[in-house]
Amino acid sequence: MAIAPDKTVLVIGGGISGLTAALETAEAGTKAVIVERNPYLGGRVAQLYRYFPKLCPPYCGLELNFRRIKENPAITYYTLSEVEEISGSAGDFTVKIKQKARYVNEKCTACGACVEACPVERPNEFNFGLDNTKAIYLPHELAFPMRYVIDTAVCKGKECAKCVEACKYGAIDLDMQDKTIELNVGAIVFATGWNPYDASKMDNLSFGKVKNVITNMMMERLAAPNGPTKGKILRPSDGKEVQNIAFVQCAGSRDENHLNYCSAICCMATMKQATYIREKNPESKVTVFYIDLRAPGKYEDFYKKVESDENIQFIKGKVAKIEEDPETQDVIVTVEDVANVKKIHEKFDMVVLATGMEPQTRTQRFPGGINTEENGFILSDGLPEGIFAVGVAGRPADVNTSNQDATAKAIKCIQTLVGGK
Amino acid sequence: MPEERVLSPDINFIRDLKKVGGETLKKCYQCATCSVVCPMSPDDRPFPRKEMIMAQMGLKESLLADPDIWYCHNCNDCSKYCPRGARPGDVLSALRAKFINENAIPSFMAKIVRNPILALAIPFVVLFLTLAATGNLHIPEGKIVYSHFFPIDVIEKLFIPLVGLAGITYIVSLLRFWGKLKTLNGTNYQKGFGDAFVETIVEFLKHTKFTKCETNADRKNGHMLVFYGFVGLFITTCWITFYYYVMKIHSPISLGDPMKWFANISAISLLVGILAIIGSRMKDKGINTKTSSFDWTFIIMVLLLAVTGILTELTRLAGIRQIAYPMYFVHLMFVFYIIVYFPYSKLAHMGYRALAITYYKMVGKDVM
Repeated sequence: MAIAPDKTVLVIGGGISGLTAALETAEAGTKAVIVERNPYLGGRVAQLYRYFPKLCPPYCGLELNFRRIKENPAITYYTLSEVEEISGSAGDFTVKIKQKARYVNEKCTACGACVEACPVERPNEFNFGLDNTKAIYLPHELAFPMRYVIDTAVCKGKECAKCVEACKYGAIDLDMQDKTIELNVGAIVFATGWNPYDASKMDNLSFGKVKNVITNMMMERLAAPNGPTKGKILRPSDGKEVQNIAFVQCAGSRDENHLNYCSAICCMATMKQATYIREKNPESKVTVFYIDLRAPGKYEDFYKKVESDENIQFIKGKVAKIEEDPETQDVIVTVEDVANVKKIHEKFDMVVLATGMEPQTRTQRFPGGINTEENGFILSDGLPEGIFAVGVAGRPADVNTSNQDATAKAIKCIQTLVGGK
Repeated sequence: MPEERVLSPDINFIRDLKKVGGETLKKCYQCATCSVVCPMSPDDRPFPRKEMIMAQMGLKESLLADPDIWYCHNCNDCSKYCPRGARPGDVLSALRAKFINENAIPSFMAKIVRNPILALAIPFVVLFLTLAATGNLHIPEGKIVYSHFFPIDVIEKLFIPLVGLAGITYIVSLLRFWGKLKTLNGTNYQKGFGDAFVETIVEFLKHTKFTKCETNADRKNGHMLVFYGFVGLFITTCWITFYYYVMKIHSPISLGDPMKWFANISAISLLVGILAIIGSRMKDKGINTKTSSFDWTFIIMVLLLAVTGILTELTRLAGIRQIAYPMYFVHLMFVFYIIVYFPYSKLAHMGYRALAITYYKMVGKDVM
């Protein structure tokens, strides 16, 4: 059976899982529509400095995907968009998409003249607030689409309009309106992904109170060449180069008061990040405090490699108290060294909380009659026919697993479109 | 080569522990959050993480010799921050209950105390037979004077030997525990027993350690009032004995007498304290200790002791004979319960905790 050429797969979420699902279905002959909440595609992967275990740059793979999208007329994407309504049934869904105005049109060449002119600053959420952007900004250096966007929460609007004057291409349109788009689609993929768990909820780990306590996703941005420190690992309080760093595993994960599951990636992410600091600051020392280290399957080799570095130390014991030395702003960590039955009070230049993944579906309600389990992940069993969940929307997973999942669910979508099961 | 150690798990011990309030102990996955958030836990061999695995493994003998179980003040910061709901605070509480039973001499006394109905039936029968034997099985006429009902010398003949016996068995249990603590450490002490013990008692009087409990801060006041209530009532008992034998002043004693003031204040302190403890245990069960039946039985007995005691006095003052004399009878049942059973009830924790803190001070581990 062939796929009818007008059959479309709707993919909610333009992160790595959503991109894969859209590309795999479209390259098999369907149409695909990606709906992305952010002003750019690529999701969390766009924020990563390196992948584990190969330590290659994730943007490399993303760019390949973006090229596949550009070259394929069957794929459409909407940024700054969210799905508001889903009705109908498998093979014949009607969806309503709300697209927020970007205020910058396709004439934008990303020259940056508007940024010079803009007088307003905002915290850069792409870098987790480690630096600022102007109210008109490029989401990040390699953003796709390569186009500026205006944050209406801080932009002064028409009474300022300095950017409009500065733009010689006429790319800024402050009259741009939000749009509602209605589409008919055959299958729907939830690739809604995750957010880093809010580390300030763990009062004993002092995130937000002790300046030199950061999260693992912030560490990705610190290490990234297009990040707030241009790839130098400097601590937030005084910009000092970090030489002695600690990682706190299970910061919120496997904890019934926070995320009652293992987030699956934090151990590997920490080992990967240990290599960042060891590579960039050769004298540096790394201490990883853990409950259990999880490096399943082939990842064991990566663990062995990291462990063989004598400047990287693994100590069994969960950090449960973090304080600041008021004079040096060093971070004092208290933990029971379980193997030696002794409490340690140790000072570090900076501490990284290996925070876990909280599914977007835990904090936001979506249309489509999807059910989530107690932790907020989408239950595959309870999904209506023709609707699928991929990647971290379904359970905590790394990029590799998410891509395998997305490819598998692409087949399911195609089966729905051809009327099979 | 690591030192070879043979562990002897006691499976029945694990099962029993779960029955007396430690049912969550198997949820622990040894992250050690508890040892860090505990405000009492020392740097060297901190607790309660190690107690959790010892309990999971059924290492009863090691736990019997562990001072940390008694050093714990049940603040429950550990249970609040525990990521698995293993509730280390409850497990330690269950361990204390278990060991009070375990250390009981003779062991059948522990069984009696575990059954509140039997435990109260015994004083009922004893007091009833005493009344029958002394020909007082009726409500006396005239002004209410309790010694007309239960003559003082009869009460003394009854209570003093029983309390003496209980006291001796309690001291034997404590000495055994102390022996176990000493084998832990050999002879490497930084402080003598006398000094350490006096410091401990001063801390008890001030309730210093309870001040460190942040999660359960309001428990301090309740515990302190009950503590001082009991101390006050003990002093009252000595005082009235002095009146009776030395001063030849017989009860009922006038309300204006300083002894009466002292006694009444102590009784009110006990009542208010126990009500505060009940309140704090009822409030927010999620964080505060999931109290075992062992604890609840004792709390209710103390409450009834205080209530019947106060009612005994009030009904006497009001001259209601039909209630006053039976109330006195019931009150004596609770007095019997508290003082004869104390080595086998929650009250026994006092001595073990005193020794544990003294030991901590002697080896230089005390966190205060």
